[in-house]
Amino acid sequence: MLTTKWLKLFGVFSILALALAACGAPAPSQPTAAPAQPTTAPAQTGGKLEIFSWWTNAGEADGLNAMFELYKQQNPGVEIINATVAGGAGTNAKTVLKTRLQGGQPPDSWQVHAGKELTSYVDAGQMVPLTQFFKEQGFDKVMPPKLLEQITYKGEIWSVPVNIHRSNVLWYNIKIFQENGLTPPKTIDDFFKVAEALKAKGIIPLAVGGKDRFETPHLFESVLLAVFGPEDYPKLFQPGADWSDPRVRQAAEIAKRMLEYSNSDRSSLGWADAAQLVLDGKAAMTIMGDWAHGYFIGKGAKVGVDYGYAPAPGNEGVFMWLSDSFGLAKGAPNPEQAKAWLALCGSREGQDAFNPKKGSIPARTDADVSLYDEYLQYSIKAFSSEKLVPSVVHGAAAPEAYMTEYGNALNVFASDLDVDAVVEALKDAAKDLK
Amino acid sequence: MASIKFDHVWKRFGDFAALKDFTLDVADQEFLVLVGPSGCGKTTALRCLAGLEEVTSGTIMIGDRVVNDIPPKDRDIAMVFQSYALYPHMSVYDNMAFGLKLRKIPKAEIDRRVKEAAEMLQIGHLLDRKPKALSGGQRQRVALGRAIVRHPSVFLMDEPLSNLDAKLRVQTRAEISKLHQRLKTTFIYVTHDQTEAMTMGTRIAVMRDGVLQQLDTPQNLYDHPANMFVAGFIGSPSMNFFEATLVRGDGQVLVDFGPFQLPVPPSRIDAIADHIGMPIFFGIRPEDIHDAHYVPRGVDESARLMTTVNVVEPLGSEVYAYVENGGKEMVARLDPRTKARTGEVLEIIIDMSKMHIFDRDTERALI
Amino acid sequence: MQQAETLSARPARRVRWMNRDRAIALLMIAPSALAIAVFVYGFIGWTAYISMTDWRGLAISTSFVGFDNYLTIFSTGRFQTNIRNLIVFTLFFLASCLVIGLLLAVLVDARIRFEGFFRSVYIFPMALSFIVTGVVWQWLFAPGNWPNDPTGINLLFKQSGLGFLQAAWTTDTNVVPGWRIEGLRTRIGIPMAMIPVVVAAVWQMSGFVMAMYLAGLRGIPDEIKEAARVDGATEWQVFRHITLPMLQPITLSAVIILGHISLKIFDLIITMTGGAPGNNTEVPGLYMYEITFKANKFAEGAAVAMVMLVVVALLVVPYLIYNRRTEVER
Repeated sequence: MLTTKWLKLFGVFSILALALAACGAPAPSQPTAAPAQPTTAPAQTGGKLEIFSWWTNAGEADGLNAMFELYKQQNPGVEIINATVAGGAGTNAKTVLKTRLQGGQPPDSWQVHAGKELTSYVDAGQMVPLTQFFKEQGFDKVMPPKLLEQITYKGEIWSVPVNIHRSNVLWYNIKIFQENGLTPPKTIDDFFKVAEALKAKGIIPLAVGGKDRFETPHLFESVLLAVFGPEDYPKLFQPGADWSDPRVRQAAEIAKRMLEYSNSDRSSLGWADAAQLVLDGKAAMTIMGDWAHGYFIGKGAKVGVDYGYAPAPGNEGVFMWLSDSFGLAKGAPNPEQAKAWLALCGSREGQDAFNPKKGSIPARTDADVSLYDEYLQYSIKAFSSEKLVPSVVHGAAAPEAYMTEYGNALNVFASDLDVDAVVEALKDAAKDLK
Repeated sequence: MASIKFDHVWKRFGDFAALKDFTLDVADQEFLVLVGPSGCGKTTALRCLAGLEEVTSGTIMIGDRVVNDIPPKDRDIAMVFQSYALYPHMSVYDNMAFGLKLRKIPKAEIDRRVKEAAEMLQIGHLLDRKPKALSGGQRQRVALGRAIVRHPSVFLMDEPLSNLDAKLRVQTRAEISKLHQRLKTTFIYVTHDQTEAMTMGTRIAVMRDGVLQQLDTPQNLYDHPANMFVAGFIGSPSMNFFEATLVRGDGQVLVDFGPFQLPVPPSRIDAIADHIGMPIFFGIRPEDIHDAHYVPRGVDESARLMTTVNVVEPLGSEVYAYVENGGKEMVARLDPRTKARTGEVLEIIIDMSKMHIFDRDTERALI
Repeated sequence: MQQAETLSARPARRVRWMNRDRAIALLMIAPSALAIAVFVYGFIGWTAYISMTDWRGLAISTSFVGFDNYLTIFSTGRFQTNIRNLIVFTLFFLASCLVIGLLLAVLVDARIRFEGFFRSVYIFPMALSFIVTGVVWQWLFAPGNWPNDPTGINLLFKQSGLGFLQAAWTTDTNVVPGWRIEGLRTRIGIPMAMIPVVVAAVWQMSGFVMAMYLAGLRGIPDEIKEAARVDGATEWQVFRHITLPMLQPITLSAVIILGHISLKIFDLIITMTGGAPGNNTEVPGLYMYEITFKANKFAEGAAVAMVMLVVVALLVVPYLIYNRRTEVER
């Protein structure tokens, strides 16, 4: 009755933890110096493997299952426990995960965004370093150095990236653009010209969501990138970053104008609802990560016919990325089975099974390009040729405490469009950059 | 100050008729008691008068106003309920002042009336209490006080004493009678207790199954009940009834009980003349049966009977004896000096001048 | 002789502090008492303790910092906004539930035909979870691109020729009147987006209030109302002076029950608006969830939890004391 939700959760999981501990506690962290591993996946027979993720939607769940199938072929007899928690773009899953970790009952391996999000688990001592494992598997040779940087912390590698998503993509309705003789805007100025023309025609220029609480923050990171450029943008998320830079205000002014060209019911729509507006021809453009591509395909739309893609305005030549990865839990109940899983996650075979279904590109440079569709092929090319910057909203660039403050500042901004206030709030939020 | 008139009033609840062609006149300043067993319609009559129930047909008048369509608040009546129905959230003072406040009577006047009534009822020290802090008797007085302060033209009371213990009931009975004399207002009082009815009413209306049986003064009701129901209802212990036949013999008229016969006094023969030879009900009150050794002066001793005593109940001032002859049992109210003992034989005298004869079919009184 | 008897009888009669019945009773109660001690009061204590540490991040830290976290949360505009929203929500929710619940109860009590049917209709929403209510009303109150291309209730208005009734509902960003006060980092007023949330909550809970009032109405003896009528009261005066005051204990219970639901509201708001637009419908429950599990600021989250505990206690404890007192009186 009293301290509500989290106390309840805490209580429930404590009971669970006690109960589980009573029926045979797993041996505390196995020595990591495993016997010499062959470069192929170590075959396991028997036992269990628990994988924790928030992949429950159509494309992503298919991708995960494709990897499970491969795993079962390679490791017959291992029972896979697919622990997924739906909803909240991973928020709900992370809540459950954190509760389990606090209770000392980790799954064998869990989904984690490469980058700052990963480091919080490392700091809490909940992960096992994988540097040796990477060498044995040869992953360090086939993964891009920029990506390896993001999973390296305190001199060790901590997780195995399984894919790359691009976050700064402009999705647009091709028919609307053709009918009005418009081309997708390359720069911020272009954007406002196009937006004005569309508005005159009674079409919503830009569809923006808000219900999932990350849409405006997501839009703003692409604006920040456009204003600050690929050199200065990453510095914004370093500890001690200077947010009193006048360019922050400039970015806020631009974002304000963009939001003024967007739908007024932002806060009642999720990102997918916003994407649907574009598909329905009610809005012309939306700026969203390439999971929107998966959404469009799922709705039966055809890329190049119904919808087109381009870098977000002012983001040309820069690839803002995020990456899902899997690590090895300290105190994992089944470390050997988990290592076999990680070997699969990092392998070309595994990634090529997973990514075409998930709608993301492989985290390896040697993938079989022919397996991927038109957009993903474009994206693979862009990833290897363009400048790379990490996404803040999706956990690559900054710690979660900062993400929360940054996100809230922009959600409030999406509502009151108060430039002064958001500049102040962002300055305040920078205190959480650690 | 008002008279009351029920004129051919019917009240139906669905198929059930609670009042059947009920007609009753009550004079101004009268204390009328409506009495009868539960379900007889006496409370319904009172509620119709109060305006809490609508009559199905007929008219009700208070004074010279037909009140059928007048809401309770405008009938100038006050009512004391069986449960007292005090407002639990108000103090005693506010309970009594409520009706006056609603009528927008000046504060000083309200205060005067409440204090006066409280004084009269000796509840002046309780004015600040809430009802739940009062005893049953005190609550009853508050309910009375709430009615008194209103200065209504008619007081209605629905079994106001039934929730009090026996001693308090006797005491309050007298107080209500005094109140009536003092207020000089019409009282309508509903009860199922014939003692209350007899002691308080200037007239009593006896009801049964929604029908008025008899309306008369207490003494007339007692002496001349109109039918067997009234005869049995009024008086305690109840009148003894026997099936019997009127026969002629030895130059006189006899009541033939089967095992024995008793003579009818010559003065009463005329009244029953046309029933001679017919079956009737014979009624005699317990106080009109005497121990043959202690017969009050002036009682004709010609009706003698030898009986067996079944039970003796000494009450100090009198003795109830259950005596029988040939299977006919009766209660007798005897002189306390009686020698009657259970199982022994007792000779009794029946005062035939006090007998009651009822038609066997209609149960109406012949004398 | 008598003396000796009394003496010898004494040991047998002495009340032992632990007889069989008592031992069994204690034994039966012990598991639940222990569980409550640990899982309720133990965790409350633990939360209070955590709220005074500097625990941030996933690794537990127990350095004592006193009331720093409380100062931090109370100085953020976001938490101030949460408190404002909570006050607005609670006041509107309580007032509407009581008024509508009482109104429905009086209507149903008027012995209309199909009473049972209406009673069920009004109580039914209570059987739903707040999550379901939130999702359904979120659809209803999604304004769409109104006034031309509306959705939900706006579409209903447009199609029934009541287009002028269209509104921004849950996406309304206004705070009325929106006063700014020196030293406060939020605007004082009613966040308009909160109104649809209140509507949904009232829809769900007013039937429950109706049921409570209905029981209360049925508990008022007819004779008391009749006494008032004879005393000179009109039907309205009977209601005003008799019925309403006699329902006061019901009102108090309803305020306590609804109040603690309201002060801890979480599920309805997180499904219906998620706190949007901005933080205009966000309440401390949501804030606690986000800073604890998203931002990993466990100590600050615990501080929010303790503030909520205190607020609910401010409502419930006086009631418990009052209840105890009136019970003694009885």
